[in-house]
Amino acid sequence: MKAESKENDDTALIAEQVPTPVLRCLETEGGSPFRLTLVCKSDLAPNGEFGEQWLLLDEETFYVVSRSVDGADLRYKYDLARISDAHIERCVGNGLLSLTVDDEPQVVLHFSNELGKEFGAIAQYLHMRASEGVDVDIPDIHADANRCIYCGRPLLDSTSRVCPRCIQKSQVFKRLMSLASPHRGAIVLITVLLLGIVAIDLTPPYLQRILIDQVLVQGGSYKLLLWLVLGLLGLRMVRVGVVIWKNRLTIGVGSRFTAEMREKLFDHVKDLPVEYFEKAQTGRLMTRINTDTDELQGLISELTMALMRIMTVIGISVVLFSMSPSLGWYGLIPTPLVMLAAYLYYRRMRPHFRRRWMARRRFNAMLNTFLSGVRVVKAFGQEQLEERRYKAHNDAYLNSILQVDLAWSRFFPIASFAFGAGGLIIWYVGGRSVMAGQITVGTLIAFLGYLGMFYGPLSELTNVSQSLNRFVTIAQGLFDLLDEEAQPQPVRPVRRELLNGGIVFDNVSFGYDPYNPVIRDLSMKIEPGELIGVVGHSGAGKSTLINLLCRFYDVTNGSIRIDGIDLRDMSMDDIRRNIGVVLQQPYLFAGTVAENLAYGMPNAKRIDIIRAAKAANAHDFITMMPEGYDTMVGEGGGGLSGGERQRVSIARAILNDPRILILDEATSSVDTKTERQIQEALDHLVQGRTTIAIAHRLSTLSNANRIVVMNHGRIEEEGEPQALLDKKGAFYDLVQLQNRFSRYQEHAELLGAAK
Amino acid sequence: MTASYEIRELTPFEVRFAKNRDNLTLTLSDGTFYGRTELRRCFPMSEGTQFISVRDPNTDDHDEIGVIMDYGLLSEADRELVEEALELFYFVPKITQVRSVKEEFGFLYWQVLTDKGELEFVMRDSIMSYVREVSATRYVVIDINKTRYEIPDLLALDSHSQGLVRRMLCI
Repeated sequence: MKAESKENDDTALIAEQVPTPVLRCLETEGGSPFRLTLVCKSDLAPNGEFGEQWLLLDEETFYVVSRSVDGADLRYKYDLARISDAHIERCVGNGLLSLTVDDEPQVVLHFSNELGKEFGAIAQYLHMRASEGVDVDIPDIHADANRCIYCGRPLLDSTSRVCPRCIQKSQVFKRLMSLASPHRGAIVLITVLLLGIVAIDLTPPYLQRILIDQVLVQGGSYKLLLWLVLGLLGLRMVRVGVVIWKNRLTIGVGSRFTAEMREKLFDHVKDLPVEYFEKAQTGRLMTRINTDTDELQGLISELTMALMRIMTVIGISVVLFSMSPSLGWYGLIPTPLVMLAAYLYYRRMRPHFRRRWMARRRFNAMLNTFLSGVRVVKAFGQEQLEERRYKAHNDAYLNSILQVDLAWSRFFPIASFAFGAGGLIIWYVGGRSVMAGQITVGTLIAFLGYLGMFYGPLSELTNVSQSLNRFVTIAQGLFDLLDEEAQPQPVRPVRRELLNGGIVFDNVSFGYDPYNPVIRDLSMKIEPGELIGVVGHSGAGKSTLINLLCRFYDVTNGSIRIDGIDLRDMSMDDIRRNIGVVLQQPYLFAGTVAENLAYGMPNAKRIDIIRAAKAANAHDFITMMPEGYDTMVGEGGGGLSGGERQRVSIARAILNDPRILILDEATSSVDTKTERQIQEALDHLVQGRTTIAIAHRLSTLSNANRIVVMNHGRIEEEGEPQALLDKKGAFYDLVQLQNRFSRYQEHAELLGAAK
Repeated sequence: MTASYEIRELTPFEVRFAKNRDNLTLTLSDGTFYGRTELRRCFPMSEGTQFISVRDPNTDDHDEIGVIMDYGLLSEADRELVEEALELFYFVPKITQVRSVKEEFGFLYWQVLTDKGELEFVMRDSIMSYVREVSATRYVVIDINKTRYEIPDLLALDSHSQGLVRRMLCI
C-alpha cells in the first residue's frame, strides 16, 4: 500500500479496496479516489456494533466515512494541516482513534482489538506528519501484521511464522530427517528390525495351520509335531531378542536426538535478543525447549509403533488374501465397523480426558494458592472458606474421573464386540467352506489367528493422524524457534577496547510496541566521568533508557553513541565489557559467592575478588559466613538478604571495572542502614566512571553532577541538583513529596531503635 | 495536580453530559467544562448502573474527575448519553447462540451469534487463562485479541449451544 510514487496503478490499487458508495461519498466531498494515499477499514459502526467505517487519507485531507446498507455517510473531514496530533486509546474489547484538531481533542472512530496495530500505525503516521512535516513515509499498514508466510492469514501464535494449516508436513519431515542424519544407520537398522518383527509375528498362525492340517487332522508324525512346536518356540525366542534390540536402538536414537535438539535450541536461544524473551513468555519457552522435546521423543516412538502397525496390517492382508481370497473379503467386512468404533471412541473420550485434566489443574492451582498464602488465610480466619473451596474442587475432580471411567466402561464392550464380530463371520462362512471341503480346518484356524492380530493395530491406526499432527506441530514450533533471528550484530564492528565513556542520546524514540512510544524524541549528552541522576515517576521511561543503553533493545528512531560510535556498530563484547549494571533486583546464579562475584570475569584472581568485595562493603558479611566466599547461593540468591545480594552485585560490577556504570534503583529495596552501606560502596564505585543512576531515594543523588527528570518518555527538567531545587520545578516537587515521606520513616526507625 | 485520597462523588445535579460529535463532554455545576470524558465501570461484571468512574482522557494518567454512584439516578438525557458511551467503551458481545466450536492445534475456533452480530473468533485453548467463570452459569471467554465475549446465562442458551460450551470449557 505504499504510495511513494504517484503512479496511477498504485493509487488505483488503494481505491480498489474501498467500496463504491464510500468512494462516491468521497467524490461528493470534493475528494478523488485517485489521490488517496492511505485507507483503512474499521469493523465497528459509529454505534459500537459490527459495521463498517472507512478512514481515508489523501495528500491534504482526512476523512471518515461510515457505510451501512443504506449507503455511505461522511462523518469527519479535516484538512491535515489542522491535525496536530493523533493517538489511539485502548477501551475494553475495542480501541478508539483520537485526533487533536485545532488543539481540541476529537474522537473519530472506534475499531475492534484486531485492528489495533493498523490504526496504531495510522495514528503514529499522523503524529509524525504533524511534527516532522509532509515527507514522512506513509506506513504500509499491513506489513507489520503477524501473518503466516504462506497463506497470509493472521498468526495466532506470535512466536511462529507459519500457521498450523500451512505447515508442510513433508518439509518438516525432511528437515527432521536432515537433523537426524547422524543417526541414519541406526534408523535404517530399526526399520529392518521392525520388518523382521512383523515377519516373525506373521509366521506362527502359518505354522499352526500346518500343525492342524498335517499333524492333528491327518495323523501326522510325532517328529513333525516336535519340530513345529520347537519352531514356534524358536520364533518366540528370536522375537524377544529382536524386540529388545529394536527397543534399545529406538530409545538410544530417540533420547540422543532429543538431547541434541535441546542443545541446539539452547545454543540458539541464548543469542536471541531480549525483545524475543519479552514477546514469548518464559513459561512458553520452557515448554518449547524442555517439554516439547520430551513429547517429541514420545511421539517418535509412537510413530515407530504406528509404522509397525501399518506393516502388520499390510502383511496380514497379503497373507489372508493369498490363503483364501473369498474369506479375505469376509474378514474385511467388520473393518469399517472397527474403524468407526475406534474413531467414535477417541472422539467421545477426548472431552472427558480434557475435563479430567482441567479439573486436576484447577485443583492443583487452588492448592498451590492456598499453601503459598496460608498466612493470609490464617490471619483473616478464612480456613472454613478454603476448606469448602477445596472440597468443591475435589468433588469436581472426582466427578471428572468417574466420567472418564464410565465412558470407558461403556465403550470398551462395544469396541470388543466390533472386534469379535469379524471372527463370527469367519467362523460361519469359513466353517461352511470347511464343511464343503473348499478349505482345510488349519486354514480356518490360521485365518482366525490372523484376524485376531488384525483389528487391534487397525483400530489404533485411526488415532495416528492425531499424533502425526501433534508431532508436526511440535517440530514446526521447534524449527520456528531455531529460525528466530538472533540480534543483528554489526558486520564489521568498530573495535574499541577502552572507552572514555561519553554518551550521546540523539533524538531517541522507542516503544516496546512500536505504536506506543515509551521514549519520545529524547536527546541528552553525558560527559565522560559525569554522574547523572535520572528520576521520575514509575513508567516515565527510566528503565527503558537503561535497556536501550545496554542494547537489550534497539532504538526505533534516532541513535545512541558512546565516544561517537553508534551502539549498533559496536561489538556486543565491547558493550558488555564497558558497561556495568547494578540492577534493582540483583540476580545471583546457583554457585558460590566467589563464582557469582567473578561472573563476568571467570579468570579473576582471588585477591581481586576480595578487593572488589571489600570495596563493595561485602567482604565483612561474606567472611562472617561459615563457608565464606565458598558459600553456595541458590537461584536468585537464596540465603542472602536483599542488601547482601545487592552488595555482591556491586562487587561484581567493581570487579568488571567498566567505564560506564548503570545503577538501576540499586538501593530501593533495603532499609536505611543497609542503604548507607550500599551508598558508601557505590560512592567508591562511581569514582572516575561515567555513571547513570536511577534512584527512588533522591537523597542518594546529592553528589550527582546533573539530575534529569523524566516524564512520559521525555526529559522534563535537567540541571545541577541545587539549581533544580532553587528553580522549584518538577525535581523540587519530587523532593518535597519524598521528604514528607522520609520524615515519617526516620521517625518510625527512631522509635524502633529506642525500643 | 495534587492527588486526593477521597473519592469525589458526582451527584446527579452536578453533572451535565453532552455530545460533541463523538466526544462526550461534561459540564460540572461549578462551570468546569471537559471537552472529552472517559467513563469506566468500577465493577464491569457485577454492578449494572453503579459506580461509574468519570475520567479526563486529556491528562497523562486519565485523571479521575469523580464517581457517579448510580447513573440510573441521572436525568434521562444524561442517562442515555452515559449508557451510549459505556456501550461504546465496553465492546463485549453477548453470545446468544453457539453454532460450532472447532478445536485445532491448541486453538478453539468459535462461530457464534451475538447481540452485536454474527461472528467468528479464535481463542487459545487454555481454559485456565482465557475463560473467566463469573458464576456457575455466567462465563466470559477471552479471544486472542483480548476481546471478551460474555455468556450471560448458560442455561438460557439452546441445548446444542449449551452442550458445546460445556464440552469446550470443561464444565
